Amino acid sequence: MRIAGLILLLYAALVAGQQLDVKTHTLDNGMKLLIHEDHNIPNVALYFFFKIGSRNERPGATGLSHFFEHMMFNGAKKYGPKQFDIVMEKNGGRNNAYTTRDDTVYTDWFPSAMLEQMLDMEADRIRDLSFDPKMIKSEREVVYSERRNSEDSNFGALDELLNAAVFMAHPYHWPVIGWPSDIESWTMDDLQSHFRMGYAPNNCVMVAVGDVKAEEVIALAKKYLEPIPRHDPPPPVRTVEPEQKGERRVALNKASQLPLQMIGYHVPRTDSPEHYALEVLSNVLAQGRSSRLYRRLVDRDQLAISVGGGSDLSLDPGQFTFTIQPRSGVDPAKSEQAFLEEIERVRSAGISPEELQKAKNQWLADFYRELKRISGKANLLGDYEMFFGDYRKMFTVDKELEKVTAEDVQNVAKRYFGPNNKTVATLIPEKPEAAK
Amino acid sequence: MRIVPFLLAAATLAAQPAPQVRLPQYTHEVLANGAVLDLMPRKGVPLVSVLVLVKGGAESDPAELAGLSSLTAELLRRGTPTRTADRFSEELDFIGASFSARADTQSTTIATEFMSKDAERALDLLSDAVLHPTFPEEEAKKALSQRIEASKSSKDSPQPAASSYFQVFFFGPRHPYGRLASGDELSLKRIDRAAIAAQHARMYAGRNLIIVAAGDFDPAEMRAKLAKAFATAPAGNAYQWQKDQPPADSSGPRLLLVDKPDAVQTYFWIGNAGIRRTDPDRIPVWIVNTLFGGRFTSLLNQALRVDSGLTYGASSRAETNRLTGRIALFSYTRTDSTIQALDLALEVLKRLREKGISSEQLASAKAYLKGTFPSDRLETSDQLAGALGEIELYGLTRADIDDLFARIDAVSLEQANEVVRKHFGAGDLVFTLVGNAAKIRDGVKKYAPQVTEIPIATPGYQVK
Repeated sequence: MRIAGLILLLYAALVAGQQLDVKTHTLDNGMKLLIHEDHNIPNVALYFFFKIGSRNERPGATGLSHFFEHMMFNGAKKYGPKQFDIVMEKNGGRNNAYTTRDDTVYTDWFPSAMLEQMLDMEADRIRDLSFDPKMIKSEREVVYSERRNSEDSNFGALDELLNAAVFMAHPYHWPVIGWPSDIESWTMDDLQSHFRMGYAPNNCVMVAVGDVKAEEVIALAKKYLEPIPRHDPPPPVRTVEPEQKGERRVALNKASQLPLQMIGYHVPRTDSPEHYALEVLSNVLAQGRSSRLYRRLVDRDQLAISVGGGSDLSLDPGQFTFTIQPRSGVDPAKSEQAFLEEIERVRSAGISPEELQKAKNQWLADFYRELKRISGKANLLGDYEMFFGDYRKMFTVDKELEKVTAEDVQNVAKRYFGPNNKTVATLIPEKPEAAK
Repeated sequence: MRIVPFLLAAATLAAQPAPQVRLPQYTHEVLANGAVLDLMPRKGVPLVSVLVLVKGGAESDPAELAGLSSLTAELLRRGTPTRTADRFSEELDFIGASFSARADTQSTTIATEFMSKDAERALDLLSDAVLHPTFPEEEAKKALSQRIEASKSSKDSPQPAASSYFQVFFFGPRHPYGRLASGDELSLKRIDRAAIAAQHARMYAGRNLIIVAAGDFDPAEMRAKLAKAFATAPAGNAYQWQKDQPPADSSGPRLLLVDKPDAVQTYFWIGNAGIRRTDPDRIPVWIVNTLFGGRFTSLLNQALRVDSGLTYGASSRAETNRLTGRIALFSYTRTDSTIQALDLALEVLKRLREKGISSEQLASAKAYLKGTFPSDRLETSDQLAGALGEIELYGLTRADIDDLFARIDAVSLEQANEVVRKHFGAGDLVFTLVGNAAKIRDGVKKYAPQVTEIPIATPGYQVK
């Protein structure tokens, strides 16, 4: 029964993978296009993935990629300030964008009748973004508010501290949103040099999924996007994070009801051969109420009310982060101890065949849920192209997962979740009175 | 990130004629025990989404036991005659199925999504949880103490905390919506296993159940399985809905200031009483709210974010629940610009009331709602199941979706401006602020003759 369940899951995912008919084309300026027709709803998800993020920044100008992302909505040559949003929304569209350590992604969702206008607007801002000093001033405040938002939240504040301790040298050290001093001092010149540094069509993948004809998308992309000149992509990131050789601990005193704990371990980059073993391990430890950490910390010992774990996609070696929300009055040392015992148990005794199977089933079902929507498909296509080097790798995830053995999972636990590779960040509650 | 998608309540329409939308075909039947069973088979990804709605929700919680429905839902998976909590989780996780059970103001929703081929196992888990929970004493204690901790920890995130305080303060202790669906640390301490078992016996009865399945399945097989499983529920008594009532005493504007001394920003809500789900003004209110604070280019976001940089986001929502809800705006700003931001938000509201909206704005909002509706509500099986559940819960028909675009198109400029006057900023405003009181206490006095101040560390969310 259990095995049968798996085979069916695998079969389904395989079918889905192979059914994703993707047309590709590379424009003369180097921009790669990935197009998948899906006529379920009369809408389109159009995503632009630029391979530039906070890892391409430098001290003094941290957060610039994210700020640039905001500025992309503040006016270009043909469509002036506010016009991008106004035109989109009055045509039934909506947009967003996000910046990570590794990439900056622009996400447009709109009725298919708007396709040509959308490409015209995107080409306008990619080629001829304008930097109005007034808009820079006001957008700086918007970003600052976004940052304060995360300072006021326990999770945001502790996450920033953990990252800065896990990475000493590599640019993953600083937060994507940037340090406050840098937010205050970005200049027009910083923005322009960020653009010159690598906002290039040849450094971008465009993904279109939805109610479109691939030939039409290609023809419109040639008309609007192809004339944008290519230029150099960002220079390579030279800094390699030195190996961690001992536990690191950082603390944050903050007015708070409950403590909070985050534990980080260095792990390889996303396209490493160990990726799927780490994904399986992640599920075994922290996915669902049957996971080891939930059972131990939340259910059995009742030390915490939640526990989670996982790693972000990353171009350079990244980190695996566990987040534990201890109960009030629980000494975080106790929840940490219980956590470590569970980690040691995987490292020394490995996982059971049932756990392996369950983790794979969960992973595939979650992957499959991503394929329900045109936005999820666009996202997966872009992420696989960016972080795995080829969107087609998403069609073989089932095979990659199948290869993972219990031994592989134990090996990655041994290799990466050891005491010398560990960084612990703890938020210690201060009574609000004390904060006055 | 540019926009945190936190207020996608109901908002989300075009210059080109948008295609009309239709709900896919579905079947509707009423089982002998009164349970409603709707099936919407559709080809596509081999996933099935099943929802069980139990009428009542937080509205049915006794006044002093806020959180009872929510906790009852939480315990469904924590023990049945044939499965321990562990066993349930093990089986569920093994097939990679999702399972959630939560209460909102008018219903409890138990939702599961699974691969088509796992239907047998997944439906067995679902019906076992919904119909045969044994509420083991130890699990009840555990769940209660976890919920109490979660309630405390919610104070560590000012945004959700501000939202909870605003709800409690706006509706007041005598209104069913004046209590949090999740309960708080005070009300949860009064709940025990007996109350939970009694709530289940009273509410999880055929006459209160709505079962909806959408996705890739054979309709005859799915009907047989679901009808067999849910026919075993006792018919019970149909839940008697509470009567609509106005929010807490409104004799002038009221303001709640929640002191969080370490906050670097002030998080604020301002609102007045609005409409119900079945209000004839629902569509024009939706349109006006889109323009006021329901999208990025809305008046509020334009003024508070784009033009002034006072905030990362400003938005508004018009609730559409069974009882009259709120029309309210939300934003946040650094502590020293609190008054400036509140003044500006109120100015935007005043300008909307004085000037109304233009025919150009009306056309833009209509296009926006129609353009975004398919991906917001009709794209996936779980969305379709949700739409169907809502139709059954409110006693609507498929016309609620099928005629939607025609009804949007039919809204005239006069109608839209009438609902502006009738609902937006009408009556007494209720304010709720979470921030550093020492720095803003004096400044906010001008908004309301009655100011209530409480420290955020005061246990629970009750406001005396």
